[in-house]
Amino acid sequence: MDDLALIRRAQGGDATSFAELLDLYYDTIHRFAWKWCGHAANADDIAQLACIKLAGSLAQYRFQAAFTSWLYRLVISCAQDWQRSQVRHEHAELPEDEPAAGANAAEESIYLMQLLDQLEKLGEGMKETALLVHAEGLSHAEAGAILGVSESTISWRVHTIRKHMARQEARAGTAT
Amino acid sequence: MKDPGIENFLKNLKAPSPDPAARLRAKRTALAEFERGHAANQEIKLPAEAPGPFQALLKKLRLSREEDSHGSSSMKWYMNRGFLAGAAGLCVVALGLTWVLPNLDPYTRELTQAEMPSASVPSSAAKLPGEESADAAAEAPAEAAARPLEQVAGTSTPAPELKDDAARSSYEARVRDDARLTQELAKARADARQEQEARGAMGNARAPSAPPSPASEADEVVVTGMRAPLRAAMEMKREAVTVIDALEYHEEGRDQFGHFDNNPVQRVSDAPVSTFSADVDTASYSFVRRQLNDGELPEKDAVRSEEMINYFDYAWPAANSRRSPFKPTVVVSDSPWSKGRKLVHIGIKGYDVDRGETPDANLVLLLDVSGSMNAPDKLPLVVRSMELLLDSLKPGDTVGIVVYAGAAGTVLEPTPVREKQKIVQALRSLRPGGSTAGAAGIERAYQLAEAHFRKGGVNRILLCTDGDFNVGVSGTEALKSLVERKRAKGVHLSVLGFGEGNYRDELAQALAQNGNGVAAYIDTENEARKVLVQEAGASLFTIASDVKLQVEFNPVTVSEYRLVGYETRALMTEDFNNDAVDAGDVGAGHTVTAIYEITPVGVEPQSVDEPRYDGNRPENRRENRREKRAPEADGKRDEYGFLKIRYKLPGEQESKLISEPIPLRSGGTSSAVKRDVIFSTAVAGFAQLLRGGIHTGALTYDDVLEQAQSSKGEDRFGYRAEFIELVRKAREAGR
Repeated sequence: MDDLALIRRAQGGDATSFAELLDLYYDTIHRFAWKWCGHAANADDIAQLACIKLAGSLAQYRFQAAFTSWLYRLVISCAQDWQRSQVRHEHAELPEDEPAAGANAAEESIYLMQLLDQLEKLGEGMKETALLVHAEGLSHAEAGAILGVSESTISWRVHTIRKHMARQEARAGTAT
Repeated sequence: MKDPGIENFLKNLKAPSPDPAARLRAKRTALAEFERGHAANQEIKLPAEAPGPFQALLKKLRLSREEDSHGSSSMKWYMNRGFLAGAAGLCVVALGLTWVLPNLDPYTRELTQAEMPSASVPSSAAKLPGEESADAAAEAPAEAAARPLEQVAGTSTPAPELKDDAARSSYEARVRDDARLTQELAKARADARQEQEARGAMGNARAPSAPPSPASEADEVVVTGMRAPLRAAMEMKREAVTVIDALEYHEEGRDQFGHFDNNPVQRVSDAPVSTFSADVDTASYSFVRRQLNDGELPEKDAVRSEEMINYFDYAWPAANSRRSPFKPTVVVSDSPWSKGRKLVHIGIKGYDVDRGETPDANLVLLLDVSGSMNAPDKLPLVVRSMELLLDSLKPGDTVGIVVYAGAAGTVLEPTPVREKQKIVQALRSLRPGGSTAGAAGIERAYQLAEAHFRKGGVNRILLCTDGDFNVGVSGTEALKSLVERKRAKGVHLSVLGFGEGNYRDELAQALAQNGNGVAAYIDTENEARKVLVQEAGASLFTIASDVKLQVEFNPVTVSEYRLVGYETRALMTEDFNNDAVDAGDVGAGHTVTAIYEITPVGVEPQSVDEPRYDGNRPENRRENRREKRAPEADGKRDEYGFLKIRYKLPGEQESKLISEPIPLRSGGTSSAVKRDVIFSTAVAGFAQLLRGGIHTGALTYDDVLEQAQSSKGEDRFGYRAEFIELVRKAREAGR
């Protein structure tokens, strides 16, 4: 089944095609949401929001960028909406909720959350940049297109993140 | 963990596979949204594209439907929006409604249906999936239009337990209403299809897409199941929906503590006998810890010295048979805060029941899932704690779950612990929302516990709450008497407090005391482990009930005494021998420690001055005259006093007595006991400092630190280290 044809049919209002599209892309959406927040249950929520948003805005996809790139942007915007709603309702994250899928996975998740937190503090777009470039393996140009900034901005961000992390590591090294 | 470099870390990062339930939920919600969006588009386009006669036909169709629909306002509402838009709207309203129907939370429903087929769920939920779910969706807007939301919540409670006829008949009337609505909905649906066909017949080529697939209709109720924060996020986007938003709940220092004064210094000549009930609660310590960890000194009434002291396990020698379940340890030491005075430690350690010989347990978890429980240290911690509890139960023990919020409902019928997964599933599906009908919840929990009563076993309700019982018949006295009546029937109650800001300590205490249970406050997972795993025996298995202590001081050797803590546990002297007077229970392996500060005769200064006038001297007062015997004549110069303990073995009505003198010098104590005397003294000192330090002279937090550090011992679970940390925090907060 051709994805693009599927998307076209869904854009035309065919529910079955849209359902199929969700089946195909839910894992991608969820994976990206999880990497964005590092927390399974929150990722479920973000993914759900993204699916709902996809229902409403699929028609706006113009086949210019790759569908996954377009999808990343959608997930990022949902994740940011979600985070704002969390702040607004003063919900802390619920790490207790995390299913203990082996000690290793839990450790990884905790480390990821710490890392994401640090990246967020570095400035706007840093976290998304790191995720798109490092975790999703996109080029600086592709990441720039998704985040709506120039390629050089992405390069600068990647450099800044690298510098910061090196400094962190050095500090941790001297502390111990 | 070694930093692998963030680039590599992110590159190799494997996201966990998504939860199938969440996936299903997302898909259903998105599909509903998809269909709503496309339906709405068509409706807007239609008038422009449809020729005049078609519009006229549509109008006619609509009118005829309205005549047919028995004038139901909800049907008009429904039809005026057009079928497809209406269906999507239903979903939205149902979403709002489920907010006030926590026991029917469709998410719970969905999980229950999908993964726990044999579990009992509230009756209206049990019909899913299929037609009825669509009916339920229909019910929602109709009822919303007709009645205030709270009533809707009421009507949706499951059918059973309607005692009086009036309630039953009104319930039946509602069922009839619902049945009528179901018919109307079916008709409406058929009409909507006709409408579509009519549209098709008019040759409108662009209209036909997205017919309402029966599957998605059936799913719409289930669609509403999502985690609470997400609902909030969605609701922000849908202004049209008004929802009772339990998330707007704010908590500010509304914790309630009963006020009590410190025990005064008593002259032995005035009141030689001191009587109190054993107390094994530890809630106060956890609460104090929480406050200190937040950088605040706790309010004085939150500090109950005996609960602080009893939080720790001490090395008092344990009794070795179930028949005489404890033996007292009495140690006399110097008071660290006033020169010349002595501290008398009275420690008892309950016989520790071997896990293998524990009686079978029938536990009913009564969980508060109201909106106020929506915080990481509340419901999620409750769920985690209960999972820990499962680990300390035997496979044959049963656990049932009752939740309460706006209404109360049974989430899980008593299920053997060997089917742990089922219990865990039920726990994890709980979501907070709504207000708190604690009273109804308690009643239901008792019904469940009684229905599965285990003769000779442990029948206990574990109430987990942040403390509020603010809906329904919730007079504290009425609740207390209910708990007391049920205790007499053999179902006991323990209260586990969670969270901060709303905690009603006094009520929790009162309920647990009346229900012969413990009240513990759980603020961290570690605390849950302590209370529910390490001390599971103590929390669940009573080895002695109505445990009372009485000390008679010897006027020859002691001039004054003061009991540290137990203010809320004081008994009258005559209560001691009265077996009808209720007192605290001691569980397997529990330690109970009481500390008296005494002033030996001849030590100055005394807190209370000697009377100036001879007539005021106790030996000369009229009521004492008959007793001509000079104290010296007793000849018991080697005792400070005499300790008596009364207790009942479980199930027995008559109390037994243990007694033992308090010697001037306690010899032969082990080094472990000596160490723990110092540690418990440190805790007692700390508690008294937090209560204002009026009896502790020049004692400072630094002194407490020193004592605690010197007596930390092995500290296998780190509780004492944590205490030391708390003392430091109090020192900082107090500056």
